Amino acid sequence: MRLPSLKGRRLVSALLFAGAALVAGAVIGACTSDEEDQQAQATDQQQQVMQQQDQPQPRAQASGEPRGDTIQLVMDRGTLKCGVKQTQPLFGFRDDQGNVTGFDIEFCKAIAAAVLKDADAVEYVDASDASTRFELLADGQIDILIRTTTITSSRDMELDVDFAQTTFYTGQGFAVRKDSGINSTSDMANAAICVQTGTTTEQNVADHFTDIGLDYEPTGGLSQDVAAAFFEGRCDVLTADASDLASRIVVRDDADDYKILPQIISKEPLAPGVRDYDSDWKDVVNWVVHGLLRAEEIGITQANVAAMAANPPNTEVARLLGVPFGDGEVAALGFDVVDAQFIQRAIAAVGNYGEIYDREIGNAIPRDCTLNALARPLPAEAVDCGPGEGGIMYALPYR
Amino acid sequence: MSELPPIPPPEQRPLPPVPGAAGQRRIVLPPHRQRARRPRSVRAREWVRKNLFNSPGGTLLTIVAGAIMAAIVFGLIVFVFFSANWEVITHNRWLLFAGGFPHEEAWRLWVSIAVVFALIGAAYGTWSSFGRRDHLFVLLVGGFVIFLMAHGGAAIWSTIYFLIAIGCMYLGYALTIWMPRETSTLRTVQQRIVGGLLAISLPIVLVILLVGGEVGPRHLDGFVLNLILAPVGIVGGIVIGIPLALGRASRLRTISLTCTAYIEIVRGAPLLGWLFVALFILDDIIGGDLIIRAMVVMAVFTGAYMAEYIRGALQALPRGQYEAAQAVGLNQTQSTRLIIMPQALRISIPPMVGQAISIWKDTTLVTVILPLRELKGNADSAIAQFEFTPDRIEAYVFVAVIFWIVAFAMSRISQRVERAQGIGER
Repeated sequence: MRLPSLKGRRLVSALLFAGAALVAGAVIGACTSDEEDQQAQATDQQQQVMQQQDQPQPRAQASGEPRGDTIQLVMDRGTLKCGVKQTQPLFGFRDDQGNVTGFDIEFCKAIAAAVLKDADAVEYVDASDASTRFELLADGQIDILIRTTTITSSRDMELDVDFAQTTFYTGQGFAVRKDSGINSTSDMANAAICVQTGTTTEQNVADHFTDIGLDYEPTGGLSQDVAAAFFEGRCDVLTADASDLASRIVVRDDADDYKILPQIISKEPLAPGVRDYDSDWKDVVNWVVHGLLRAEEIGITQANVAAMAANPPNTEVARLLGVPFGDGEVAALGFDVVDAQFIQRAIAAVGNYGEIYDREIGNAIPRDCTLNALARPLPAEAVDCGPGEGGIMYALPYR
Repeated sequence: MSELPPIPPPEQRPLPPVPGAAGQRRIVLPPHRQRARRPRSVRAREWVRKNLFNSPGGTLLTIVAGAIMAAIVFGLIVFVFFSANWEVITHNRWLLFAGGFPHEEAWRLWVSIAVVFALIGAAYGTWSSFGRRDHLFVLLVGGFVIFLMAHGGAAIWSTIYFLIAIGCMYLGYALTIWMPRETSTLRTVQQRIVGGLLAISLPIVLVILLVGGEVGPRHLDGFVLNLILAPVGIVGGIVIGIPLALGRASRLRTISLTCTAYIEIVRGAPLLGWLFVALFILDDIIGGDLIIRAMVVMAVFTGAYMAEYIRGALQALPRGQYEAAQAVGLNQTQSTRLIIMPQALRISIPPMVGQAISIWKDTTLVTVILPLRELKGNADSAIAQFEFTPDRIEAYVFVAVIFWIVAFAMSRISQRVERAQGIGER
């Protein structure tokens, strides 16, 4: 672009700068006014929907400030943004038609049914990447994180995440070949151990081997890669959540060649995560999970929930389902944020906890006598446990 | 060795051919150079002896290399036809192809494919022609696709749609190939039309895919997402790159500094990092759908590279070109448009195609960094299906083959473009 004189060039430069500044100004202006509009709209809707609630809190950027508005966000948007894993067998994957499905996904549906009255009003956001999952939540790109995430004290205290009721209990175990002669971790001196990097699994195994004073040779990678490395014989031991080990072995043709050691070296309670300082939202998530468990305890199923709601057999069923018992009133559960029938809708959408378990996991990970079975009725009478009993799944009372 | 045909006795060897009839000039070689006229079997045997078994060392090398190759081929055959469980692919072909794209809107995919295929056919018919290898490539890829659709629950309609799309390609080819290649008004019109359609093909496809109905950018999923992201990155990159290259070469310091800063900043960070920017920072600045943000980042990133390739080409042009353009009285804009850019773009085609293939493969990064699922991500999901968890090798081999097919097609087409444009010839 040759121009005749220095003066001309300066003029062009000045014009360019002015133009750039104008465009930038316009963009910033447009963005700001958009935000204000949206906030104003949200305020209007909120006042319509929630008369009893105070003025909405503006969404705080830094944690530490109160911001209990996720449930309002979800209601205004009309969809639940559920951060899920899409590469975890049984828990979160996609079927051949591209639908996201699995054990964790059932809870997204239950929450959507409870809050939005539509189990399909869920937008599944892929949170398969373990390293960005908490940022997605903290950044507000998802409303809830349900993807086989272990509750740990450091995550709960340091990150912008708060955990609701555990949906699945597991623990870290070890799988070996039957002919390897390994029967416990004390036989694993200098063994090559396949372990997923960057997870609690890796830290647990390091701690454990420090405790028993043995050396080992870690072989790292992603979860499906370390499993494959083990089955291809590149390491002696595979360590992961015991449930994950079981599901990866049971599907193989040579499943009989492998065994899972009875030793469990960690607790891995997998729970839904929500943002910190969001009590209302966490309450809803929490009590949906408890409601599905309580439904199993007292025998409400997807099939009979409608009949139970129409004609509740006792006061507790009526209270759980949010319907009047006899001539009485609807017993208020004390929620401001959702109506009394939210558990009823969740059960109607996905069934009770046991039904979800049977449908999504079934025999791949046996449930009886594990932590995921219902707790024995108090007081404990028998030493050995019956079908579906012997666990610590213990719903808190609805009252 | 033993399977080689015996050497025919000398008297059976054909006589040197006589010169062709009807006054055709044919070159008759002197007898000592008539080796090519001897029977194929003799030539083959001689070639083998000369190239494979010319010395003990050579023989050893041949045997070792042959054994290794045979083992690889044998292993491949065993894997592909016997040990592999391809059901993980055939069962999940929709997941891999389009994932969450709504089923009732699948016609948009097929129409887009047909449009693209027809344009490819028309482009070939206008500037090049299908050779035997091209037909073979189409046959192999078509057979591969139809094989996929015939297994694991036959998808008859999809097969028919795919065949129609192939038919569209040959229709586009047939409509354009009959035009005489000599320079004429009609030929120019044809080139303009096909070229114009090619230039707007990407917006056309995006409109077909996304406008109206129940679909939005967030439904782009699986292989379809790769197929959209890469062209958006490439075309957007060229569109951004041309002004950047001209700007960097400009004598106005403001412009050249701005363009240089853009190029150096964007090129200085990996695509991975820019995708993080799309995920967490652009979210607050431009908002919108994540896929749109990913597209913007792809185009912005590719643009910086394309600009440098074009700038290299601009500098490679002899100064005489600029001076000649001035001498015939063209102003700056005219000479850039008519003299400089056409030559510069021609020179920069090979590196730009390299970048295009690179960005094609980089589309897998959106699964690694962003919560988006493209082909490789959906393959990960397919092997997370309980019954297919042991079949990860099959899934990844399939993904690799698919990426290779597209990259290979890009490479071949670019070679055609280069030949048609006379690159490398002066």
